Amino acid sequence: MNHTTPTDDDLRVIAEQVWSSYLDLDGASPLIAKPADAPSHEVCASVSVTGAWRGHVVVRCSAAASRNAAAALLGVELDDVTPDDVTDALGELANIIGGNVKSLLPEPCALSLPHVLVHGESGYPQVMEVCGLEATWLDEPVTVSVLESTVVERVG
Amino acid sequence: MSLTAQEFAYISGLVRRDSAIVLDTGKEYLVEARLLPLARQSGLPSVSEFVSRAQQRPEPDLHRKIVDALTTNETSWFRDGEPFAALATTIVPDLMARRTGARNLRIWSAACSSGQEPYTISMVLGDIVPAAWNYEIVATDISTEMLTRAEAGCYSQLEVNRGLPANMLVRHFERDGANWRVSPALRKPITFKRMNLAAPLPVLPQFDVIFLRNVLIYFDVETKRSVLQRVSSLLRPDGWLFLGAAETTLGIDDRFERVPAGRTSAYRLRDGKNTAPTGAQEKG
Amino acid sequence: MHAMVIDDSRAMRLILKRIAGQLGFEVSEAANGKEALDLLAAADNPPELALVDWNMPEMNGLEFVTAVRADPRYRGITLMMVTTEGEQSQIVRALAAGAHEYVIKPFTPDAIVEKLALLGLVPNGAVA
Repeated sequence: MNHTTPTDDDLRVIAEQVWSSYLDLDGASPLIAKPADAPSHEVCASVSVTGAWRGHVVVRCSAAASRNAAAALLGVELDDVTPDDVTDALGELANIIGGNVKSLLPEPCALSLPHVLVHGESGYPQVMEVCGLEATWLDEPVTVSVLESTVVERVG
Repeated sequence: MSLTAQEFAYISGLVRRDSAIVLDTGKEYLVEARLLPLARQSGLPSVSEFVSRAQQRPEPDLHRKIVDALTTNETSWFRDGEPFAALATTIVPDLMARRTGARNLRIWSAACSSGQEPYTISMVLGDIVPAAWNYEIVATDISTEMLTRAEAGCYSQLEVNRGLPANMLVRHFERDGANWRVSPALRKPITFKRMNLAAPLPVLPQFDVIFLRNVLIYFDVETKRSVLQRVSSLLRPDGWLFLGAAETTLGIDDRFERVPAGRTSAYRLRDGKNTAPTGAQEKG
Repeated sequence: MHAMVIDDSRAMRLILKRIAGQLGFEVSEAANGKEALDLLAAADNPPELALVDWNMPEMNGLEFVTAVRADPRYRGITLMMVTTEGEQSQIVRALAAGAHEYVIKPFTPDAIVEKLALLGLVPNGAVA
């Protein structure tokens, strides 16, 4: 089984499948693989990958998109969405997207628990973006990046 | 101009009739969203105009496109389950008892679409047909696009999640990037050909089993009749025909009778050489 | 009929509860394999179905499946793993450990229902 680095296209397919399974069941509000007017890093959810490949999978979106996602995923009214709902929902989206990216990476790898940051940009020192997706959902920005760690692992 | 109540009712009636899927009021936005691409393809500015034209000039092909656009995009493996179980428990054993001379089985998946049906048949036959026997599966569809897809045998993760037992997935597929591809062994017994059931069919050796599932529903009665007529000419006199779960030959072609097949039903020619199949379960 | 949903993600538990609930199951939940085993031990009747995530703290899904299959009290529980682990080798491991079915995330409600139908666990043949 050969593993290549995931491509932008792989990421797009994964994200579209996640959206159509959980956030756009009837096809009326799809994830569109086109950049929004301005990217947003208001909410940042990520999982880290360790093992045969090391890095992070990061999902970023606007606060509005994160609340829409929480409402759709958890089946609650938009007005009733709590900060915990946003954290849980975005964390799970990062987890599922990250898990699917992991399946395209060399084996064996493990996924960390998700980490969600609201109103702050997550910084990842010494990484290189290997693929990315800039998309729009309900007119709001959603981006996904796969960041490979460039740190050389010390042995011994 | 947005969809009128009457136009919506017409569409939901069409979808319910052809797919058993129910579009309740409240789903107008879905009809608008899903039919907009079709309206644009027809050069019409709105879904409402598109629908009213579809009503005035009913065409089977257009109806099929409308139903396809509104029903789920992914087709399932082992669709409806029972026909494939019947193939394994009743039909193949029955055929093997009769074809002891030739030791060859021919199955036709007519309207194979993206290939889930012929590959499912291949999975079932691969498990139950002994090495000394030969089997061939012919998979046909009117769409070359679909045939190319089917022949490639490459499916997305969402598609392989649909009704495919996990142990079949690991035995018969391999990951190919984000997708899953059928094994060469699974594809080997299948020949893919383009065929239009509503037109004269090529001459082919007759089949022991024909799967004609969820195809007739898209046609009017006259076309149903002519399709069944053509298809049955390619069925061995003692062969078996499977239709879709909501379909019947009743009122269309009384040369067929419905018979039990495992826990479901199939159709056989009344004047077949053996009208009482060996190994068939008792009725009732 | 009773189903147990075992996942450390509250969001995923909600999604699966919704799907199982619509099919007519009474649904209980646990956040990891250990909690689930404790729930099983305390229950009067074991559930017919358990939807099990893989990666969870304390006791992961594979360990839970192994424990359940080793216990004669729980012979009647159908174990369906629902996880992001999508490598072929992982699916093989899960089936070898005794899982009856396997769903890779993301899944549509239809996908879960169809797999349950294959297992004979859809009460009246309803499709979501």
